[in-house]
Amino acid sequence: MFGNNRLPAFHPGLTQSRIRDTTTGNRLWFPGVRSPPSESSPSDSDPPNDQLPLPITPEDLYDTPMAPFNPYTYIRCPCSELNPYAKRTPDVTAQGLSRAAQDDDDHTFDPRAARSNYSLYPLEYLSFCEDCHQIRCPRCVAEEIVCYYCPNCLFEVPSSNIRSEGNRCTRSCFQCPICIGPLAVNHVETPPDPNQLLSPDHAASSHSGSYLLSCSYCNWSSTEIGIKFDKPNSIHMQLAKLRNGGETRLTAKERKERRKEQGGGGGGSNNGQGEEDLDTLLDMETQFANLKSFYQNQLSDANGTGKAGGDASAALGNLGFDAPASLSRIMSLYTGSSSLHDKKSKSRPGTMREALAPSEGLQLASLDETSAITALQDFESTTGLDAYSSTASTTQLQSQTPYLGASPLHGLTRFTSSLRPIPYLLRTKRSKRCPQCRHIISKPESKVTTTRFRIRLIAGNYIPTITIKQLIIPGLTPPPMPNLPPDTIAPLQPAQFVLTFKNPIFESVRVTLATPATTPGRFPSKVTILCPQFEIDSNTDVWEEALKDNNTSSASTSTSQQNLSSSTGPEGGPGRKRAGTLRPGTAGGASLAGEELGPEVGKVWEKGRNWTSIVIEVIPASLVQTAKRDGKGPIKEDEDVLEIPMFVRIEWEAEAPEDEIMPGLSGAKGGNKDGGKEKRELAYWCVLGLGGLRGRCKRGFVCGRS
Amino acid sequence: MSSATPSPDPRSSAHGHHKRHSILPAVSQSGPKPPVQFSSSCTVADSALLTGPHTIIVSTESVIHPRARLESLGGRVTVGRRCIVHERACLGAADLQGRYHKGSPDKDGRSMGAVTLGDYVTVEVGAQVESGGTVIGEGTTVGIGTRVGAGAVVGKHCTLTANSIVAAGEVIPDYTVIYSNGLRRVDKRGVSDLKNKAQARQIDVLRRMIPSNPAKFQ
Repeated sequence: MFGNNRLPAFHPGLTQSRIRDTTTGNRLWFPGVRSPPSESSPSDSDPPNDQLPLPITPEDLYDTPMAPFNPYTYIRCPCSELNPYAKRTPDVTAQGLSRAAQDDDDHTFDPRAARSNYSLYPLEYLSFCEDCHQIRCPRCVAEEIVCYYCPNCLFEVPSSNIRSEGNRCTRSCFQCPICIGPLAVNHVETPPDPNQLLSPDHAASSHSGSYLLSCSYCNWSSTEIGIKFDKPNSIHMQLAKLRNGGETRLTAKERKERRKEQGGGGGGSNNGQGEEDLDTLLDMETQFANLKSFYQNQLSDANGTGKAGGDASAALGNLGFDAPASLSRIMSLYTGSSSLHDKKSKSRPGTMREALAPSEGLQLASLDETSAITALQDFESTTGLDAYSSTASTTQLQSQTPYLGASPLHGLTRFTSSLRPIPYLLRTKRSKRCPQCRHIISKPESKVTTTRFRIRLIAGNYIPTITIKQLIIPGLTPPPMPNLPPDTIAPLQPAQFVLTFKNPIFESVRVTLATPATTPGRFPSKVTILCPQFEIDSNTDVWEEALKDNNTSSASTSTSQQNLSSSTGPEGGPGRKRAGTLRPGTAGGASLAGEELGPEVGKVWEKGRNWTSIVIEVIPASLVQTAKRDGKGPIKEDEDVLEIPMFVRIEWEAEAPEDEIMPGLSGAKGGNKDGGKEKRELAYWCVLGLGGLRGRCKRGFVCGRS
Repeated sequence: MSSATPSPDPRSSAHGHHKRHSILPAVSQSGPKPPVQFSSSCTVADSALLTGPHTIIVSTESVIHPRARLESLGGRVTVGRRCIVHERACLGAADLQGRYHKGSPDKDGRSMGAVTLGDYVTVEVGAQVESGGTVIGEGTTVGIGTRVGAGAVVGKHCTLTANSIVAAGEVIPDYTVIYSNGLRRVDKRGVSDLKNKAQARQIDVLRRMIPSNPAKFQ
C-alpha cells in the first residue's frame, strides 16, 4: 500500500540507457553535483584550472546538437559481490579485505554487464557503515519508517491512524483530479452585479456561506462534480459523505430502513420478488450490504431446514458450487480426515440460491452505452473541443481513490467530469540500517518540518572523490582531429586524463589503483595508469594550511607528507607541486607551455592540501574499424562511451575504537600499531566514464580515419 | 577561481542611498515612433517600448507595464479596456522566423490589425502575441512565457497557462483552459464576472504603483 509514497530516489533498476537524457546523451544521475574540486571548494590550494583548456563555451553549444560529455565516476557497492548472504564479520579485517580484493582480481569488473546497472552508483548516493567499514548503497540498506506525514499540510500522522484511516491525509489536503495540482478551499462567491462591474468597489464580495475546492492551475473546481462544503475545515470527512452531484451518502441505518421497505419480509424464504425494478442502481456499499444480509439469511435458513436433504433434487443441488455442502466438502479436504469419518452423521444443509432482486444485492450490468456516447457528442458540439479530452486518462483514473458511494462496476463513468478530488498520499521519513551490523546509517529528525538528520553517514565523507579532466598540454597533446565533435576522444590516439583524488578524512590515505590493460567489451581500449600508487594528504584544517604558507620552514617539518614522486620532495612546500616540471614560486599558468614535459610514469601529476592528481593514459578503440573487420554488427548502446573499470584500494591508519584497544587483541589484529592506531583498508571497483568514442550526434557522423 | 570572474554587482555600489536600479540595460527606443491613441485613464509606463509605423490604441484604464513591448510593424495594435500587459510581454511580435505577419482583411475589407486584445485581458510576463490578425477575447489570461501564433483567435475567458503555445491561425473556443503541455479543458466555474472585478481592483493598485507617462509616446 505504501509502495507509492517513497521519496523520489535513485532507481537502480533502470538501465543506463533509460537514465540517459535523450537530448544530450548524458546520464542524468547527478545534476551538477559533481564538479571539479576547483569549483566546488574555494580553497586556493586546489588544482589550477588555467592550464587545462576550458571545456566548451556556451557559444559552441548552440551550434552543436548536444551538450558536452560530462566525465563521471560511479562506484560499485560491495553488496553486489558474489554471495551477498555470506556471513561476514562485522568489522572487516585487512586480511578479509585483501582476500576479497583477490577474488575481484580474478574477474575484471565489466561496467557494461547487465548486472552492473544495479550496482553502480554515483558517490552521492552511497552511505558508509562505520562499524563494518564498508560502502552501503540504496539497494542493500534496510529501511525503517520514522514517521508518516502529509506533504501538503506537513502534519505528522500516527501509525495507528494509518491502520484505521488509510494512507491518505484526512484533513483538507486534496489534489486536483485533472492536473494533480494542489486544491485550495475557497468561498463560493456570488457573481457581482454586472451593472456595477466597471466601478471598482473595495467591499469584500459577498459569499454564500459555502465552500468549494478549486485548482488554480487548470481552473477545476468541485462545483463541476456538484459538490460544495458547509465549512472550510475537515473537507475529507465532508467529501466522504457527499456523492457526486451533492447528494449525501446513505448511512448504514438509512440503508437498513430502505431495505426493509423494499424487501418486505426477509428476502431469503420466498423465491425473489421478481416484480422489483431490476434497473435500480445501487451504489457499491448498498449492494454489498444487501448481498451480505441476503447470504446471512440464506445461511441461517439453510441450517434451520437442513434435515430435509434426503431426496434426489437436494443431492443434485449439493453438487453445485453454490451449495454449502460443496464448500464443506472442499474444506474437509484441507482440514484433515476427521470430517470423513463422521460423513454419514453429518447433516446436509439445503441448497442456497442466488440473489434475484436489488434488495438482495443483485445489480444488473448496464451494457447500454448510448448515454456515454451522447455525452461525448454533446461535449464536442457544445465546447468545440475534442471529445477525447472529456474522457479520463488512465493516470487520472488510477489516481482516484476508491469511493464506496460510487455506483458499481458498470456504472463507473470514464469522463473527467466525474473525477473526485484526490486526498494527498502520505509520505514517510525513513531511517536506514546497515544490513549486516544493524547499525543506523541514516536517521532523519522525526519532526516533519526539519530537514536535518540525526545520523547520516555518507560515503563522500569517508572515501576519496575522483574527478576527471582531460589533459591537454599545448605542444605535447596532438591537436584535436578535424570534424571531431568537441566532447569525443579521438580513436587510436593516446589521450591523457587527470584523475584528481580528494581525501575527505583527517588521516593521510594511501591509494592503490588497478585497471585491466584493456577495457572489457567488444571494443577494447588500452588503459595505463601512470602512477598507480600514491598518497593523499589528510584533510586538515584550511586555516592550518594558510598559516603554514606563511611559515615555510616550520611547514616542512610539521607536515607529514611522504611524497611518492621524488622530484616534489625537496620543494616540500604545502602548496601545489607538479611532478617533473615544478619550478618553485610559480603556481602554474599559461607561461608553462614552453617547459612543459608532460606526465611521467610513476610520478604524481599534482598534489595539494588534501588532494593528489595522477594521469591515466588511454588509447581508445576505433569503433568503425573494429566493427568492419570483425563484422560485429551495429554499435550497441553505451558502447560508444569510454568506460574504464578501476579497482581502488585505500589504506589509512585510524584511531582504533576504544573497546578494541586491548592488549590481547592488538596482537591478533596484526595491523595494530602503538595502541591507538589501527590500520584500515577499503577496496572497491569504480567506473570512470571518460568521454564519447565518436560523435553521438544524429547527423550520422563517423569518426576515425579509415 | 570563482572570484576571478569580474561581475558587475549592482549591490556592491549601493553604499549610498541610491535608488535601486534595474539590472537590465536602459531601454533604447529604436525604430519608428508609432502614432498612438491613448485613453486619458490608461497607464503606460515610461519604459514601455512602442515601435512600428501603425497605430497603437490603448483603451480605458489599461495598464502597460515597464519594458512591455507593443510593436505595430505588422499593423494596428489595439488594447481593450482594463487590460494588463506585463513586463517583457510583447504584443505584435514577429514569429519564430522573424517575420511580422500582416493581418488579413476582414469581410468589409478593413485590416484586422496586428493584434487585438479584448477587454479585461491579462498578458503575463514574457508572453508573446504574434502579429497578424491575432485576437484575444475578453477576460482571457495569457500566461507567463506563452506564445500565441499569428492569426490565432483566442476566445473569451480562456486561460493559457504558463509556457503554453497556441499555433498560428488556431481558433480557441470560449472558456478554454490550455494547460500541461497543450491539454485542453473547459472552465466551468462561471466566475468570469468575479475575475473581471478582481482585475479592476488590481488595476486600481497598479495605477498607483506604476508611474505613467503617456505623453512620452504622443
